Amino acid sequence: MNIELLTLSKVTGIEGEEGNFKVFIKKSPRYVRMDKCIACGACAEKCPSKTPDEYNANLSNRKAIYVPYPQAVPLKYAIDADKCIYFKKGKCKACEKLCPTMAINFDDKEEDIILNVGSVVLTAGFQPFDTSKFDTYQYGKFPNVVTSLEFERILSAGGPAAGHVKRPSDKKVPSKIAWLQCVGSRDLNRCDNEYCSSVCCMYAIKESMIAKEHIGQGFEATIFYMDIRTHGKDFEKYYERAKKEGLRFIRSRVHTIAEADKTGTLKLAYVTDEGEKKEEDFDMVVLSVGMEPADSAVEAARKLDIALDDYKFVKTDSLSPVSTSRPGIYVAGVIQGCKDIPQSVVEASAAACSASISLAPARGSSVKEKVFPTENDVAGQDPRIGVFVCNCGVNIGGIADVPAIAEYARGLPSVAHVQENLFTCSQDTQEKMVELIKEHKLNRIVVAACTPRTHEPLFQETIQNAGLNPYLFEMANIRNQCTWCHSEEKERATDKAKDLVRMAVARVALLEPIPALSVGVNKSTLVLGGGVAGMTSAISLADQGFPVTIVEKSSALGGAAKEVSKTWDGKDVNAFVSGLCAKIENHPDIKVILNSEVVNAAGFVGNFETTIKTVEGTFTVNHGATIIATGGKAAETEEYLYGKNPKVTLWHDIEHDPERLKYANNIVFIQCVGSRDEARPYCSRICCTTSVMQAIFIKEQRPDANVFILYRDMRTYGEKEVLYKRAREKGVVFIRYARDNKPKVTEASDGSLSVEVFDPILQQNLLIKADILNLKTAIEPSINEQIASFYKVPLNEEKFFMEAHAKLRPVDFASDGLYVCGLAHYPKPIDESIEQAMAAAARAATVLSKPSIMVSPLVSQVNAEVCIGCGLCAEVCAFGAIVLEEVGAKGKRAKNIPASCKGCGLCAASCPQKAIDMLHFRHSQLEASICAVA
Amino acid sequence: MLTCDYFNPLQIRGESMTEFEPKIVAFLCNWCAYAGADLAGVSRLQYPSNMRTIRVMCSGRIDPVFIIKALKGGCDGVMVGG
Amino acid sequence: MVQDKPKGSVMVVGGGITGMQTSLDLADSGFYVYLVEQSPAIGGSMAQLDKTFPTNDCSM
Repeated sequence: MNIELLTLSKVTGIEGEEGNFKVFIKKSPRYVRMDKCIACGACAEKCPSKTPDEYNANLSNRKAIYVPYPQAVPLKYAIDADKCIYFKKGKCKACEKLCPTMAINFDDKEEDIILNVGSVVLTAGFQPFDTSKFDTYQYGKFPNVVTSLEFERILSAGGPAAGHVKRPSDKKVPSKIAWLQCVGSRDLNRCDNEYCSSVCCMYAIKESMIAKEHIGQGFEATIFYMDIRTHGKDFEKYYERAKKEGLRFIRSRVHTIAEADKTGTLKLAYVTDEGEKKEEDFDMVVLSVGMEPADSAVEAARKLDIALDDYKFVKTDSLSPVSTSRPGIYVAGVIQGCKDIPQSVVEASAAACSASISLAPARGSSVKEKVFPTENDVAGQDPRIGVFVCNCGVNIGGIADVPAIAEYARGLPSVAHVQENLFTCSQDTQEKMVELIKEHKLNRIVVAACTPRTHEPLFQETIQNAGLNPYLFEMANIRNQCTWCHSEEKERATDKAKDLVRMAVARVALLEPIPALSVGVNKSTLVLGGGVAGMTSAISLADQGFPVTIVEKSSALGGAAKEVSKTWDGKDVNAFVSGLCAKIENHPDIKVILNSEVVNAAGFVGNFETTIKTVEGTFTVNHGATIIATGGKAAETEEYLYGKNPKVTLWHDIEHDPERLKYANNIVFIQCVGSRDEARPYCSRICCTTSVMQAIFIKEQRPDANVFILYRDMRTYGEKEVLYKRAREKGVVFIRYARDNKPKVTEASDGSLSVEVFDPILQQNLLIKADILNLKTAIEPSINEQIASFYKVPLNEEKFFMEAHAKLRPVDFASDGLYVCGLAHYPKPIDESIEQAMAAAARAATVLSKPSIMVSPLVSQVNAEVCIGCGLCAEVCAFGAIVLEEVGAKGKRAKNIPASCKGCGLCAASCPQKAIDMLHFRHSQLEASICAVA
Repeated sequence: MLTCDYFNPLQIRGESMTEFEPKIVAFLCNWCAYAGADLAGVSRLQYPSNMRTIRVMCSGRIDPVFIIKALKGGCDGVMVGG
Repeated sequence: MVQDKPKGSVMVVGGGITGMQTSLDLADSGFYVYLVEQSPAIGGSMAQLDKTFPTNDCSM
């Protein structure tokens, strides 16, 4: 309600400054009235003009009047004027004739809009690399060479092939597909994109795994790659699983693609690691195309007058990763730099955080709130049910016999009024419904129309406007799950619709009014951990006026970043960390408790109660939100003589001993020490970049020194790839080793070190005398088990905290009011920790900014008289929404926490005593529907 | 081994479907299976009209008693989608 | 420079997954959001993906 969508709109200019911008927008005409269009699709069905469908990567056609895809928001048609026959030739207007709601408006005009806003966030995204620039891959010439985005649509059940994978040339099911990585990435020769796109390795593995599922037995997938970059959370495990399931990974760049025969089979030529020339036939080739800043995004950035980098991504600094060159304008998503979905979502929230800090004094000044009339008390009244049957134009009425359904409804018990509507969802019908409810004193409403998933909120609002509680409402889904699916069986569709109406009437008669449920919110936050992540989230909240307490187990703030000297783009980390510490110490709204630990926690969103132990004793903190930023550290190791020979160092030790560096001639780095193995099957994400930076630093100081980096896959993702290139230019020697053939480190009697490693390019062993050996051990999380159990949040197998959803909720937990950021979530560089910390602050602010929060009142209800305190409910609840409470002599009884309850009903189904029931989904209410079926 | 106490073998083989009109109750989770059934409609996928949906907030809400009640009440099949 | 009275509204340019998340967070914490999208619908590139790792959720 407080988000206004301006579709078909572009920014054309901006004036003003942070806090008060004036933005100029040009809105193109849609030629369809948004308030009239009901998305029935009658227009598109008869539109004579076909054009390639961008949504399906041009693999199928759409009409000139279209919705981009079936789930589009807003679900309203639009006319593509460039393709419309009326606009080109002056006649047709078939859509206007067919539209049942007269929504077509050929006179629609372009609009100029001026917005007054305090901040701007640019999230305008990417475009896939244009593969036709390459002649090597024969894209556009050979039909069976497709891009990864095209393949994504081929795989999709909603795509042009309905999920049946067939190759374009002869519609044969392909049994051998090759994916070619780094098309338009990591390549300065044929395109200007020297950066790594960060996402292609993972999506290629995903596409090949899903293709295998679709095609089944006998399918062979091969991925041709340079380095496999599966550096995201749980990505490495997926890569390992793919290898186990038989996906073939070949480290080589395919140099030639030719057609092997007339059917379109392709012959790929490549050179193996061992230097052998090979040729192999494939049914299809998928080009894993990289990402580029979208042309439209670059245009928008220019209109907003913000600086871009060499690759046209928006220029940012790794210590303020979402701020642009212009104060008050922020950036997030791929236009900031290549990244995957979770990282984009994190950055989105971080940008929201930045935008809110400067506008905090104006919070709440522009938002609107909905007001409803007072509710009628229906207690004790017999049900008087109103049934509204929708024709939905011809969508329902053209198939089912709506008058017969209405007539049938009239005969059902307690039904007091039945009404047929052409479009029940239209604005004028809402007003009419309010009148009818009042006139007939209706106290329960059934709408037989489309799906409650999209329309229930609208009708609930309508009955609230008539003074009814929104839960005295039920929908019968006679369109999506009836007429649309049984369009050839009109009579049966009518029978089914009658049954669905009968079920809805039986249920609605038993529904009860449910009062709105709100809980008060304590405005303060507890941050666990005083590293960069914890400090950043604390400052981000305190700067908006929300008080913060930081609990830090050590004797000083700073965390793991104290060891780090520079970010990947050369920013001074020490100065940054001291700056954060100073700001926190002087901040009136931040309290720091050092040498302390959490010993207990209770409560729920808005109302947490945490017990903290310090040397002075234990005390309790009340807080509305909790941010877990407990950090991580480099693991210890016993490999490669660490701890036995002083020349063997870990991580940043090498930077802290400049004297030794001065006299070392041979410096060797070993990557993946304890990462990507059985014990820790994950990539520590930051080690490759750190070693490459250190190697460059050494080469800059001592060009004559020999620097070797022994690695498994070089994972300098995103623009960090440029550092990898620079290191190679400076003469750093990169030697790849395999997990089953690790380097061997030996010590001679004089204490000198030798490293022996097999070089796959020279195909022989190399022996390197190492003056300094640096090991990049795995980044592991702090000990988190206790905190996880106190707050009832999950850990993954490697003891990192597990977010609510790997893609879409990367800083939330399933329980509200709890957030995670920094190394406690997964290894990550400082810029990503900062972003995630700001994201956690933004998510917490969605709770803290309200005096009370509305939670769904469809929660569990415990009957303490019947409960025997077995605790099964508390055990099965994934949200910590049921606890066992001592009730004196009787022992324990279950108690629900409505604010935490998600209404799933697992507890109710599990209770052996039937002591738990679900509001709005009571046993009796569900059974009424069940009985009504038969 | 199949017992023929409840079903006629012809029904199982699908050979006498014209006469047999099973009534099937489907408990569908609001967030996934119910949404899927909606999408089947959007995509105009056609399927037999014998299913009657009961929407729940999670398939975990399904008490085994519901399934028994449905079968006892005369339904021929129960589907839980979640 | 921030004026005494900044505006309580924000413009988000781009209606993909990133822009949608930014808009939701801002609107949920007391700011009015204008979400500007050049195409007829929001959703962006993610809506085109078949499934996403690791849950193979449909990306809708």
